[in-house]
Amino acid sequence: MRAVRKHLEKLRKIERRRYHPLIHKIHKKHKISKKTLFYVKEYGPHSNVPRTIIKESIKILLLASLISSLGGLALEHIKLIFLSIMPLIILLPTLNDMAGDYGTIFSSKFSTMLYEGKIEKIWKKDMKLRKLFAQIFLIAMITTVFSLVISMLVSYLSGYSIAIDIVFKLLFVVIIDIALLVSILFLISLFAGLHFYRKKEDPNNFLIPITTSVADFGNIIILTLLILMIF
Amino acid sequence: MEIFDSDFREIFSSQVVSIIGGLIAGTILAIYTDQILLIPGMLILLPGFLEMRGNISGSSAARLTSGLFLGIIKPNKFRTKVIKGNMLASFALAIAVSLVLGIIIFLFNFFALHAFTLKIILLPLIAGIIANAIEIPMAIFVTFYLFRKGHDPNNIMGPFVTSTGDIVSIVALLISMVII
Repeated sequence: MRAVRKHLEKLRKIERRRYHPLIHKIHKKHKISKKTLFYVKEYGPHSNVPRTIIKESIKILLLASLISSLGGLALEHIKLIFLSIMPLIILLPTLNDMAGDYGTIFSSKFSTMLYEGKIEKIWKKDMKLRKLFAQIFLIAMITTVFSLVISMLVSYLSGYSIAIDIVFKLLFVVIIDIALLVSILFLISLFAGLHFYRKKEDPNNFLIPITTSVADFGNIIILTLLILMIF
Repeated sequence: MEIFDSDFREIFSSQVVSIIGGLIAGTILAIYTDQILLIPGMLILLPGFLEMRGNISGSSAARLTSGLFLGIIKPNKFRTKVIKGNMLASFALAIAVSLVLGIIIFLFNFFALHAFTLKIILLPLIAGIIANAIEIPMAIFVTFYLFRKGHDPNNIMGPFVTSTGDIVSIVALLISMVII
């Protein structure tokens, strides 16, 4: 027990720059899982937990906020048109959530498929990939239409009059927005995932931040362009 | 190729939960459009402000779930160093991001609209403090509750944090406007 503690203390003191061979050594000698060792190293008894979390998260959080603000800048540009269409205001948080969620689902599922060796060499012919795309695309379409119907219903009940041409325009805008986003996110997950996997790096660490940022920014940019074109 | 399998059902149900939260938040936003969205720069602030809640509370819940599964965090002990550290870090991160968002809209108003609105920096800052004072403890409490009940919080906390986060954020923005 003393030997284990001594080794864990030694491990905790190592600077977190890269994967240290000591983790592998302790894992082999004392049969402690690598995840546990990593957690002990990061948040062990003598570590400064808030400092570790803030140091590792602040840069990516600020970057994500800046990217989102850039998207918001585009929306601010079409503020008057946007504010005049009540169902679009209701849909804004939902569309943003949906885009981010699909990015996360593609990334995590594709990374797992790569690790499990389920992806065929010629990915274009891979049935599991086709199935994943078909499932997400179908769910995206159903939830988008459902959200639009609810948003129009709420708008109507609040006294907002919806003309039939507005209904079709809105349907076109949100369907194209989500269809384009889902396709772009799928392609990014695929190519970036294969790239990082071939470089012997964990795709999980890169794909989720990349796809969620592209989803948030892309959603507002595509939405802005479509609103400008259609309305 | 069977599309309607268990994966389809799981993703679909989590998405339904997520969009319901988004629609409630959107409805509040639409009701108070005059108060919220007519402030210059609010549409720049909104996407980043809504996203922040998921990024901070979601990561916090994921970190604690890993600790719970590894046995490093005990499901019945709340007052531990890791939990307190997570809460403190999440609050600090939320304040930092809110401040940056406030500075961005201040700069936009100053350079694009030539309006010197220093008070606008306080808007996301106060809203961030209010929203996180509710969202962070709630996310931690629900993570522990789900784990104690035998669920995997990883499967539930994502949609939970995004849907509740949207509602809490919009309400916090409204309260913040009343305060300022």
